Amino acid sequence: MAGLESKLPVVPGVKNHVLEACHHVVKALRASDTNLDPNLTKLLSDLESHLSTLEIVDTKVVVEDTGFSEIKKRFKEAKKVILGWEQNQSMILEAGVSKADLFFQALHDVQRVPTSFKALPIRTNKKEKDVYNQAAVVLDIAMFRLEKELCDVLNQYKQHVQPQYLSVSSRGKDIVYDESFVSLDDVVVEATDDQQILGSNNVVLLDPLVIPHIKAIAKAMFACDYGQAFCEAFITVRRDALDEYMSTLEMERFSCVDVLGMQWEDLNGEMRKWTKVLKIATQVYLASEKQLCDKILGDFEPSSAACFVEISKDTVLSLLAFGEAVSLRSCQPEMLERFLGMYEVSAELLLDVDNLFGDETGSFLRMAFHELAKTLADRTVATFSKFKNAIASDESTRAFSGGGIHHLTRYVMNYLKLLPEYKDALNTLLGNMQVDDSIPEKTGQDILPSTFSPMARHLRSIVTALESTLERKAQLYAEEPLKYIFLMNNCHYMVQKVKTSELRHFFGDEWIRKHIASYQHNVTDYERATKDSVSTSRDRCRLFGLAFDDVYKNQTRWSVPDPELRDDLHISTAVKVVQSYRGFLARNADRIGEKHVRYTCEDIESLLLDLFECLPSPRSLRSSRRRW
Amino acid sequence: MRPAQDNQGSFLGRISIRRNQFTDVNTEQEQEDLELFQKHIADRFTELLSPPPPPQPPSDETNTAASVPATEQIMSVTWLRKLMDVFLCCEAEFKAILLMGRDPTQISKPPFDRLVPEMLDRSIKALDICTAVVNGIDSVRHYQRLAEIAVAALEQRPLGDGNVRRAKRALSNLLIALSIEDKENVSGGGRGGGSSAASKGGATIGQLKSSSWAVGRNWSAAKQIHAMTANLAPPRGNEAAGLPLPMFIMSTVTVFVMWVLTAAVPCQERAGLANHLPVPKHLNWAQSLVGIHEKIGDEWKKKEKKGSAGLMEEMTRMEKLGHSLVEFADGFHYPAEKEAAESAAAQVAEMAEICRRMEEELVPLQQQIREVFHRIVRSRAEILEVLEQAGKLSAPVV
Repeated sequence: MAGLESKLPVVPGVKNHVLEACHHVVKALRASDTNLDPNLTKLLSDLESHLSTLEIVDTKVVVEDTGFSEIKKRFKEAKKVILGWEQNQSMILEAGVSKADLFFQALHDVQRVPTSFKALPIRTNKKEKDVYNQAAVVLDIAMFRLEKELCDVLNQYKQHVQPQYLSVSSRGKDIVYDESFVSLDDVVVEATDDQQILGSNNVVLLDPLVIPHIKAIAKAMFACDYGQAFCEAFITVRRDALDEYMSTLEMERFSCVDVLGMQWEDLNGEMRKWTKVLKIATQVYLASEKQLCDKILGDFEPSSAACFVEISKDTVLSLLAFGEAVSLRSCQPEMLERFLGMYEVSAELLLDVDNLFGDETGSFLRMAFHELAKTLADRTVATFSKFKNAIASDESTRAFSGGGIHHLTRYVMNYLKLLPEYKDALNTLLGNMQVDDSIPEKTGQDILPSTFSPMARHLRSIVTALESTLERKAQLYAEEPLKYIFLMNNCHYMVQKVKTSELRHFFGDEWIRKHIASYQHNVTDYERATKDSVSTSRDRCRLFGLAFDDVYKNQTRWSVPDPELRDDLHISTAVKVVQSYRGFLARNADRIGEKHVRYTCEDIESLLLDLFECLPSPRSLRSSRRRW
Repeated sequence: MRPAQDNQGSFLGRISIRRNQFTDVNTEQEQEDLELFQKHIADRFTELLSPPPPPQPPSDETNTAASVPATEQIMSVTWLRKLMDVFLCCEAEFKAILLMGRDPTQISKPPFDRLVPEMLDRSIKALDICTAVVNGIDSVRHYQRLAEIAVAALEQRPLGDGNVRRAKRALSNLLIALSIEDKENVSGGGRGGGSSAASKGGATIGQLKSSSWAVGRNWSAAKQIHAMTANLAPPRGNEAAGLPLPMFIMSTVTVFVMWVLTAAVPCQERAGLANHLPVPKHLNWAQSLVGIHEKIGDEWKKKEKKGSAGLMEEMTRMEKLGHSLVEFADGFHYPAEKEAAESAAAQVAEMAEICRRMEEELVPLQQQIREVFHRIVRSRAEILEVLEQAGKLSAPVV
């Protein structure tokens, strides 16, 4: 019998039925015949007693299997604990670990009721049903209480990230653009470097001490099938927190209409800010938020990833929306650096974004980010072309007074100096763009690969465009020598800007040498032109004087801003003019009396020092000399 | 749906071939193109107004008295997705008419020097609406999650007071969210910290937004719609026969589609939305569009009075089911009465079905709206490019 029983599958309910059936069979057999064989009667009574012991054992087994009465008892205690916390609004966390443990233990006891109840063979007992129903209510009360606890703890122990660490200070002075390219002066160009303040550092968004408690809440709620409620609450609080962090970064939301109507100065500031905020938001806040989600919900994938997406979605989309809105503006040359910055940061962050939003739920954001990077790349290239075209097509109607450094030259060279910072971005973007380069082939002198990078070729081609424009502007001068002074000044300025900055690695030694030769050639041309004007009157001393007066009157108003260049020019002019003047005087000493000589060689030499001083009004030598 | 797209393909093909053949745009053929365009617009909106019966009856739809299955009804999420498809088709066709093979200087001359910038201005406003609506759909997904919690709780067997209690909490939050005013919904009015929200009715109360604005401070969907229609008038005189007509049609379609979207889902500031859509009633191509507009407009007026998050059909049904399930929950005593439980179970099943459909279609709808956004951006860029070309071409003359 025992052997038979062990082979049958033990199903408590079924076994009871079988036993009952046996009883019936025994009774029926007894009733069917009063003259039963004594042996059979004995067998039947044995069976009966055996059955009854079996029954006792079996009921015991049922009780031990589910322990429902024990569970009921423990439920009563647990209920008290949980209802106690329903009234108590303070944080369970702050009541201490043992109190919290008591709560979670109580919850565990409550949770066992429905499980055991559902396993009961017969669930018709009213008392048991009531317990089940009560337990479900208490469970819900506990869950609701935990939801509140979760929100309270998340809010209370939220960390406020140091503002100075994240300060969005603007670097340098803004480049303000106007049609005449006047505003970018040399002072602006100090490239300040605050890019490095951020690595992919994570910040602590939530006090690490409370994380075990939150994890315990998550575990309890997920175990009771309240995982969704946990996630909803978690998302709501964390999204608000992220929002707060974003508002400390002062990232305002703008509609497309706003962005299109914005003044350039304001937009420039916003674009600059965006570039930083996007980086901080992605590498600091979102990365840390992702870590937090993983820490708390790592055991409950895919909830962790889904929560993270929900928390960050709004912030990410609003940041992307600004980039999209800016891309709607017609690209003006002055936007180049801002676009470069925006493109660069978005391209740089693609890897981070792929990691943050790697799975299916985040693909929406991932794609949107990639799309924006692409859009910004297109806009940057378009702006770059605009920039070059604007330089190539800049026209003036009047000669630039004084022959000094044209503001276009200043603007372009100082702008170019900003670009090496974006060399990777530019090389990527300009790689496929056609360009006419003044140094098409690698030569012996230049060995740096940067000199032959796409960016270098484009930079040289921009300067070539600038040179043609300056050449056209030079044609506007009525005085031949001034034309050369103008070209010399501007070319010298370009060379100086290239030589003294990062740009030299891009332009290369050959370019620099060629351009030094070019402005030196301007100097020679100038000297020749000036000498010609003076020496046509070589034969007459008086005429020389007059011609010199003219040169003095004009050329003191001309400008050679670079002091070294000016000195060189003074010396070489002095050498040539004084030499020829001295020769002239010597040759004609007999004909010209002392009194006819207006200027001695020493006079000339010292007067020549006044040239190119950019004097505001013409100084007449004739009148002042006559008084002598 | 799909036939419309096929249509479009062949249409574009024909235009390009024809335009390539005749560099000088033949007015007679242009006229034909315009008529075809109007016909397509009319056809597409007619289909939206009364969709053709599906090939086989829906399997076990519970609550469909009308012949049109719930999924196809106006303002259902499926219908909204169709509307997006229709917009994209119309837009592609329009752009072909406007730009393909056309001499660039033509669209820079009067009256286009006024009409084109006005149209581009409208498209910028449409972009902002797209952004706001994508954001609004996130709110709908929040409603969906609340409904899912309620469904999960009410599907428990045996159904106990605890389950009902849980469901009721989720349903109350859902109903608050569904009837909340725009301002509170989006701008965060009445938003407390998470703790106060939790003590009131759980952290999952219908608040979806904090202090942040989806689009920008002071931005208002109703004002944008209004501004889009401000200078929108049917072309008159000899303009009525030419290019100004499709421009007017496309602008009307754009405004209409944006209007529908803002009415369908929660959106920042919609006060007076019903007033701002002057659709010309007498024009052939506009008949069905007007029909849809009237239907939605009437609903909006009703809803606006009592406050509503949106007219999306699923949301409306969700609200109805929510109310009746709350009623069930209020009268519930364990153990459940058989009859009440059965009728509730049917409603729970319907709610579950709505959730399932939302789960399937809301994200694709968001993606479609993003696609609309990008399409508008691209078209605008193309038009600007043509205008720039035109500027260069006409520059020597000036």
